[in-house]
Amino acid sequence: MNDTFDTRQAWGNGSDAPELSSIDVGFMPLTDSASLIVAATQGFAQPYGLNINLRRQSSWANLRDNLICGELHAAHSLYGLIYAAQLGIGCPAKDMAVLMGLNQNGQSIDLSADLQRAGVITPEALDRRTHQSGTKLTFAQTLPTGNHAMWLYYWLASQGIHPLQDVDSVVVPPPQMVEHLKAGRIDGFCVGEPWGASAVNQSLGFTLATSQTIWPDHPEKVLGCTREFVQRYPNTARALIMAVLDASRFIEDSTDNRRSTAQLLSGSDYVNAQVDDIEARLLGRYSDGLGNHWQDCHAVSFHRQGEVNMPWLSDGMWFMTQFRRWGLLREDPDYLAVASQVQQLDLYRQAAEALNVPVSESVMRSSQLIDGKVWDGSDPVAYAHGFKLHALADDTSVTTDR
Amino acid sequence: MLRILLINDTPKKVGRLKTALTEAGFEVIDESGLVIDLPQRVHAVRPDVILIDTESPGRDVMEQVVLVTRDLPRPIVMFTDEHDPNVMRQAIKSGVSAYIVEGIHAQRLQPILDVAMARFESDQDLRAQLHARDQQLAERKRIETAKGLLMKMKSCSEEEAYTLMRRQAMSRQQKLVQVAEQIIAMSELLG
Repeated sequence: MNDTFDTRQAWGNGSDAPELSSIDVGFMPLTDSASLIVAATQGFAQPYGLNINLRRQSSWANLRDNLICGELHAAHSLYGLIYAAQLGIGCPAKDMAVLMGLNQNGQSIDLSADLQRAGVITPEALDRRTHQSGTKLTFAQTLPTGNHAMWLYYWLASQGIHPLQDVDSVVVPPPQMVEHLKAGRIDGFCVGEPWGASAVNQSLGFTLATSQTIWPDHPEKVLGCTREFVQRYPNTARALIMAVLDASRFIEDSTDNRRSTAQLLSGSDYVNAQVDDIEARLLGRYSDGLGNHWQDCHAVSFHRQGEVNMPWLSDGMWFMTQFRRWGLLREDPDYLAVASQVQQLDLYRQAAEALNVPVSESVMRSSQLIDGKVWDGSDPVAYAHGFKLHALADDTSVTTDR
Repeated sequence: MLRILLINDTPKKVGRLKTALTEAGFEVIDESGLVIDLPQRVHAVRPDVILIDTESPGRDVMEQVVLVTRDLPRPIVMFTDEHDPNVMRQAIKSGVSAYIVEGIHAQRLQPILDVAMARFESDQDLRAQLHARDQQLAERKRIETAKGLLMKMKSCSEEEAYTLMRRQAMSRQQKLVQVAEQIIAMSELLG
């Protein structure tokens, strides 16, 4: 009796107004932070009673630490960053949450002008170069457990190059990639735009592969936070999803909106880059620096009627299969259980429905990747153990189980 | 170590608090009688906490507390002999974080200061959230006004007006509210 009364009372008193009226949200200077930056600056959050204070971060590790310690309420995050924090790889384990997807596609693997001059401009030529004796090539990614490490490794392995044996990897924050390439400290990198385009436009390198050739419409950045934040401030989290979802829809409403988005992003407070470096690839216009130009039908996307924004369980699980594949995880986690806790499907659904954004009934999606393998989330253990090139190490328990 | 500014508003030259504080191991960086320029003094010595020792807080004391809270917020602890609940209420309202009646024991000072600091921090958070809410509301009103003006000028729909304003803001790397202000200013100019 009392319980019923209390519940009703709580419901009556507590509207769905956000518990916090102002939150600090981190981002890295990248084209794919667009929906967050547009939401924060173009009045998308105020109607929900929320103010988003943007906090630019200097590196992914820095962003992760600020997110975990509570300095940031939420952040533009790598899928790999959230899952590594969840599993305690490279940092203390912390229960994390993915509120929504921010974008798909829009990253690239780029090599130096020196390699270009040496004729290393095809996967085959790179394969030959990496298997020659002599110094190993050095490739940069943005975080050992991050998406770019995973794209780089996946692409190299699909070409028969072992990413942990045949080449060296280093970590460089995205905005510093081009500078390191210019100085000859690295031979190539995998990073989000506009930094690939920036290298091409300055003739410092060329684009060898876009991330969408590895996996068309691959998951990329997410709106991440700790689970503690979702539990303490569910209304704030929902309002934040709604504001960003609204902004992602706005960006894709028209070409003019995409163009103004590129102009906003180029500002010194945001990505701080040439508007040309941002705009072309944001509009799907690619030039690889080798004389090829094309309109990319899997360019960076922020919404696509919500398909981009849905926190698919299979997307989250995929990153764990790659952690397992490359030995970052010594044992198979309970892929589905972990992803079900991290991906905030309920909260996303409520936000999307309130905005009339279609939500898929299914929580998995199926894709075919560059090596011909199909990923649909149905058998993550077999998938993680099914690659020719890997660093699984001695996983006796699993092999005997199978 | 906490840096303490001690205000001695009692007739005694050396107040009862100084001794207790020193015994308890605190650093009293400045002690003075009730001054009329408390905010300046706080600005000059930058204490972590302000202790006011007063037999009965009068209007002058309260006024100084209000000024500090407005200009340079700090945790303020008031030690007094005044039992009147109305005076206590007024003191808290002015910005006092803890109001302690009688009895200063060295061993009780630490917990009292801890509570005052915690209370102060949560008050500050609340104040900041309220301020953000007010500002948000004000911004929303300005944006609404500008949108209305634009709809009239361009005879367009609400959504079109928003899109026009946003495109303008984004292409200038500005916030929506800045463009709203420009539209309002322009419309005032053109009457």
